[in-house]
Amino acid sequence: MGPQHPSTHGVLRLKLLLDGETVKNVEPVIGYLHRNAEKICELDYYCDSLIYFDRMDYVAAMNMEIGYLEAAEKLLAIEPPERVKWIRVVMAELNRLASHLVWAGAFGLDLGMLTPFFYFFEEREKILNLFTEICGSRQETNYMSIGGVYQDFNDKIIFKIKQFLKQFPKKMEEAYSLFIKNDIFISRTKGIGILEPEVALSYGVTGPMLRASGVPYDVRKDAPYLVYDKLNFDVPISRGKDVLARCIVRFEEMRQSVKILNQALDKIPDGPYFNPKAKKSLMIRLRGEGDVYARTESPKGEFGVHLVGDGTVKPYRLHVRSPAFKNLSILPYLSRDVLIADMVAISGSIDLVFGEVDR
Amino acid sequence: MKTGDAGFITTTLENVLEWGRSNSIWPFTFGLACCAIEMMATQASRLDISRFGSEVFRNSPRQSDLMIVSGTVTKKMAPRLKRLYDEMPYPKYVIAMGVCVIQGGPYNQGYSVVMGVDRVVPVDVYVPGCPPTPEALTHGIMLLQDKIRKREGK
Amino acid sequence: MPYEVKEEKGKDGRKVFLIQKENFLELMTDLRKQGYDHLSLITAVDFRDRIELVYHLQKSESNFELLTVRTVTYDSTIDSVSSIWESANWDEREQYDMMGVVFKGHPNLKRILLPEGWVGYPLRKDYDLSKNQYVNMDDEGNDRVSFDPGDGW
Ligand code: SF4
Repeated sequence: MGPQHPSTHGVLRLKLLLDGETVKNVEPVIGYLHRNAEKICELDYYCDSLIYFDRMDYVAAMNMEIGYLEAAEKLLAIEPPERVKWIRVVMAELNRLASHLVWAGAFGLDLGMLTPFFYFFEEREKILNLFTEICGSRQETNYMSIGGVYQDFNDKIIFKIKQFLKQFPKKMEEAYSLFIKNDIFISRTKGIGILEPEVALSYGVTGPMLRASGVPYDVRKDAPYLVYDKLNFDVPISRGKDVLARCIVRFEEMRQSVKILNQALDKIPDGPYFNPKAKKSLMIRLRGEGDVYARTESPKGEFGVHLVGDGTVKPYRLHVRSPAFKNLSILPYLSRDVLIADMVAISGSIDLVFGEVDR
Repeated sequence: MKTGDAGFITTTLENVLEWGRSNSIWPFTFGLACCAIEMMATQASRLDISRFGSEVFRNSPRQSDLMIVSGTVTKKMAPRLKRLYDEMPYPKYVIAMGVCVIQGGPYNQGYSVVMGVDRVVPVDVYVPGCPPTPEALTHGIMLLQDKIRKREGK
Repeated sequence: MPYEVKEEKGKDGRKVFLIQKENFLELMTDLRKQGYDHLSLITAVDFRDRIELVYHLQKSESNFELLTVRTVTYDSTIDSVSSIWESANWDEREQYDMMGVVFKGHPNLKRILLPEGWVGYPLRKDYDLSKNQYVNMDDEGNDRVSFDPGDGW
């Protein structure tokens, strides 16, 4: 099957061993989108690596940027101002919404439901319009920089985000009910792809996949970064362990994101929006030494960046822990002895983004 | 009954075919990377591309006549892309979407990216941007329609 | 304990264990028994004369606290931990693909991201970026890599 998987927006080739309609063994073949990002980062200045991070998990560019900046700012010893931290949280949560919406649309397509796709992309379009207004670009935003953000928030933006948040929950519930009230959907997801927590941990699965198996691991709670410790939100878990549980957890996460956004928007303090030590002209002279590891919670799971500096203006080594890569490695385990149609549902529930799997 | 003074358009079969062809392009979505998401957004509600006659996005090369290559083409992918292109029936057109597909884009200095899909298959319309907006892609498709009508696209 | 572990603090306050390559597998087995059930990441850093391997482990009982294990190899070989954590399987394949570290005892050590037959390990510091390699495919769908620009893309 593949490398053009009909329903994912990526390139995955699955070598299948079949017995009639039943899958006996799957071997995912990846690397069709291997774009050598890690190597190129070594050739550029610290601040330039950001654009490759944007394009890693391309539906959640902001979360990727935060992941890199958490590491880079630690290595270069540049602390972002307080206001920046709040702005970043707002952007990260907005992008988490967008990412989950893309997932939901694509997952619907996987199961042969076309209508939700239009609902979700319409909502996503609204978020992207906000992004266009703030950063000038829709998807690959490149909004943040070392020690700050590219442009300040103003009252108009905050008002617009609030307006969006007012209507969003209703629309989302509407689309959610398309999923959850649909008997065909339930019968195709319930009890499929059961993943026990011990197995999940051993395979390195994180994010909504792990939480749907009942392990409440969320980096935002367990090792808070930015200002997540000052915000009040819950980590949704489910004991269902199946595809349906993953779906429900992701929708619950969207509700939590809305909750975070509502709190954060009211709390953004005044102040500068970048650290003067990392002004544009000084940016390319930043030097760092030693190694750091920073983990953040991307929509797919734990996103880690291991960054090594050798005292020059360029990173010495950069390695990304990509959650989707790890989550994909569980596919052979999950799809042993299931029907092909179920395997499509399982691979859809993993939420694969190949820019991130292959980097 | 009078006939002959109305209802005639002199044309050739060729022109009719061209007109039909240009208004019913069936794209084959070759979504590879970030640009694919923007391509999906083009199909979705805001900019419903079926208004322009590109009604059905197909996932099979055999039923389509336009290939939209959206997203970085890596060296590992290129032979497969070529094979899928060969499977498409004539007449066939290619739109290259995004700078990656045009000349390697941000990954230009690397080791595993093909520097432009036009080394692999012939390209009719280039849509630059990283990623191009859905509007840009729509414009690209309209350009291609023009091109087909003027019969340059053969 | 039959082996020695040096403990230090990382730049960002992480707990870091330094260990000799010889005792590496024993330590890892011990750590697994102590409850570190989540292997988050395996990284290799090329220092030209040696390769440093970094393992980030997490413990699910105590809020996924982080522990880093570092070891150094001079001949690019190390024992595989894929029998202890399943997730090491793909991680080690990736490091083999990118860095050329050979993990002894790995069940299926072959390239994962690059096509089979690629020459060299791209993330090594001495990898020559100016030499292009080209990939083509035979009828069965297997990749064929060569330095000849006429054969493949
Ligand atoms: S052109 Fe830009 S957005 Fe499109 S695939 Fe390349 S990197 Fe991604």
